[in-house]
Amino acid sequence: MTEEARGAGTGGTTTGDEEADRSYLARVRAEIDDEVRRRRASGDLPPQMESELEQLFLQHAPLGSTRQELHEVLRLVDAAAFIDPVVPVASSRPGGTAIKKGVRSLNFWYLRFITHQVSKFTTATSRSLHILDQQLSELAAKIEALEVPPSVVVDVDWAHRTDAWWVPAVVGELEGIRRRVLHAACGDGWLVQLLAATGVDSYGVDPRPGRVAGQELGDLDLREESVLGHLDAVEPGALGAVVLTGVMEGSGHGERRRLLERATMALAPDGVLLVHCLTPAAWEATDAPAEADIVQARPYRPTTWPHLLGEMAMSGEVIAGPLGRDYLVVARRDLPPSAPR
Amino acid sequence: MKVAFVTPRYGPEIMGGAETAARQLAEHLVAECGWEVEIFTTGAIDHITWDDVLAPGDSVLNGVTVHRFRSASGRVPEFYALDGRLRTAPAQASKDDARRWLECNGPVTLDLLDALRGSDADVVAFYPYLYYPTVAGMDAVSVPRVLHPAAHDEPALYLPVFAPTYAEADAICYHTAAERRLVQRIHPVAQVPQIVLGLGVGEVTEGGRAGGEILGIGDRPYVVSVGRVDEHKGSAMLARFFRLYKERHPGPLALALVGPVAVAIPEDDDVVVTGVVSEADKWDLVRDALVAVSPSALESFSLVVLEAWEQSVPVVVNATCDPTREHCERSGGGLWFGSFREFEVVLDRLCADASLRRFLGERGHNYVEKYYQWPALIARYAEFLTNVCQRGPRWARAGS
Repeated sequence: MTEEARGAGTGGTTTGDEEADRSYLARVRAEIDDEVRRRRASGDLPPQMESELEQLFLQHAPLGSTRQELHEVLRLVDAAAFIDPVVPVASSRPGGTAIKKGVRSLNFWYLRFITHQVSKFTTATSRSLHILDQQLSELAAKIEALEVPPSVVVDVDWAHRTDAWWVPAVVGELEGIRRRVLHAACGDGWLVQLLAATGVDSYGVDPRPGRVAGQELGDLDLREESVLGHLDAVEPGALGAVVLTGVMEGSGHGERRRLLERATMALAPDGVLLVHCLTPAAWEATDAPAEADIVQARPYRPTTWPHLLGEMAMSGEVIAGPLGRDYLVVARRDLPPSAPR
Repeated sequence: MKVAFVTPRYGPEIMGGAETAARQLAEHLVAECGWEVEIFTTGAIDHITWDDVLAPGDSVLNGVTVHRFRSASGRVPEFYALDGRLRTAPAQASKDDARRWLECNGPVTLDLLDALRGSDADVVAFYPYLYYPTVAGMDAVSVPRVLHPAAHDEPALYLPVFAPTYAEADAICYHTAAERRLVQRIHPVAQVPQIVLGLGVGEVTEGGRAGGEILGIGDRPYVVSVGRVDEHKGSAMLARFFRLYKERHPGPLALALVGPVAVAIPEDDDVVVTGVVSEADKWDLVRDALVAVSPSALESFSLVVLEAWEQSVPVVVNATCDPTREHCERSGGGLWFGSFREFEVVLDRLCADASLRRFLGERGHNYVEKYYQWPALIARYAEFLTNVCQRGPRWARAGS
């Protein structure tokens, strides 16, 4: 099939052709979307039928599901906005239809008066929600133009490996820790595996598509998730340690603050925050990762960390790497003297 | 290793997805790992009334020891008014109201809880999150507890009565990553050890008959939808969409709705409702279909999608159902529809493009082969449970 499909210009299915397959599917979906738009615009379905079909589809759809946007949920509002005063009269009983018709005729003036008012209200509500949706969409477009590019995870071959100088320091820091340890961004789980081998209950998160995919059938707990999103979903005080590598360099200041705040919140009172980071000098070097040019961010200087940690009621030390290219931050919450460590 | 499963219904006569999943995991742990597995359940078959239909007592089913207990109460009439009141803003429900909702929903299983306290299992798995045995049972055991939520995006998930259930789990087993995202959006459990497992596809047991022969439609091409024929499963919507599709695109194409019938769908030349069929007929029907459709918006896994792919049949799913759509996106084995317009265009395209059908079917098949074959899947689950046991229960680690 593969060759035939490719011959017909429809993509292939061998492993090496994953990219071609994905783009073929994306093209098919785009063609379907175009055709749907074309048919909608043609108006070949009566509006009332279109509305009935929408209502039927949305009847059991999870409202506000993770994929839905306001304009999609509004389809349900639109479909239900018109209140029909013409009550169905079909009946399975003899004479039932005639009786229902009679009752409907007697009440029609009354029902029409009521439903007209309700329909006016629902239509006005729907219209105002559409205006709100439109204004929000315009606002979103404006914000998008001003938006700082999203933070990226930086891969640094010489630093993100088991024989890097800072790894023994992290392993030593986590020795004997009883609570779970999070590593983000975990890549293929190289540090999680190392920690697990030393008896540390660890898991990893990486937001980059496909990075953990190769390991997802293994026995490590690795997940493809946004680091910030993950930390938001962690029970406060639940983790023994958070190890951040490659996530601070490419983030804007606001996002870095949020990351650190969430990570701190996730830590148990005696938890430890470990951050590996490149120095600004390494960020400017010719062998710096490509993200150094792409994102509007630069790593903090090691001397900035005491200030930053102080703002978050934490204290710790910054251990400089041997070549001045990177450093490791080891930080803990400042606890009142009476609090147990 | 000894594992206990707590599930409100159990047995081959149960059609529920979560209960079937629990049974399959239990039986495969026995068959492939040689583990001892026991089930704590009720005698109910119906998940609305929770009437005790099956006799209480102990029995062995496919190597699994089943302990059945009477329910003190099933779903009570008060449930409907309370549910109606709470479902508009479930997250804001009071703890007392939410607890009352849980008890009114049933089954309240006090005997089951007493027996569970006396179990000598090394680990207890609860399946699904929604019912009293799980919520109350989590408090009743001191060994590690694994929660299989089988969660949908439904109002109940937001009720505060379930917050401790999620918070106290020692580990969580999800059907899909979409389910994990959903749960983590509502409950702060991202740090809990977890696995995205799903279910394995059973052995294909074809009967050797042509699908059209089983349906009585001869050589006509057909689209198949396997599963409970139910309003909530989208069957009525699918039938309506298909009939309109046929009005606008006359031709030989037919629709086969295959499964137990909970809502009457009028049959005609184009729509065949088979009712319950044998496993062999089911596989034959799926194998010969042009396309398999999963119209349901409320699936937490959908084995029927994977069964279609096992036979290299492309699938079409409801776009608002995150788990089935995730299957399609990850595998590249299916398309989805979010309206009649999309249904019409997708079906048009698939009917006209045989190479696209083959492409999708092959991608889906590869996906099932990689992730959802029982031996590998149950080995992962066994490894996961072993790790959960080694880690120990949450309460034992709390002081550390």
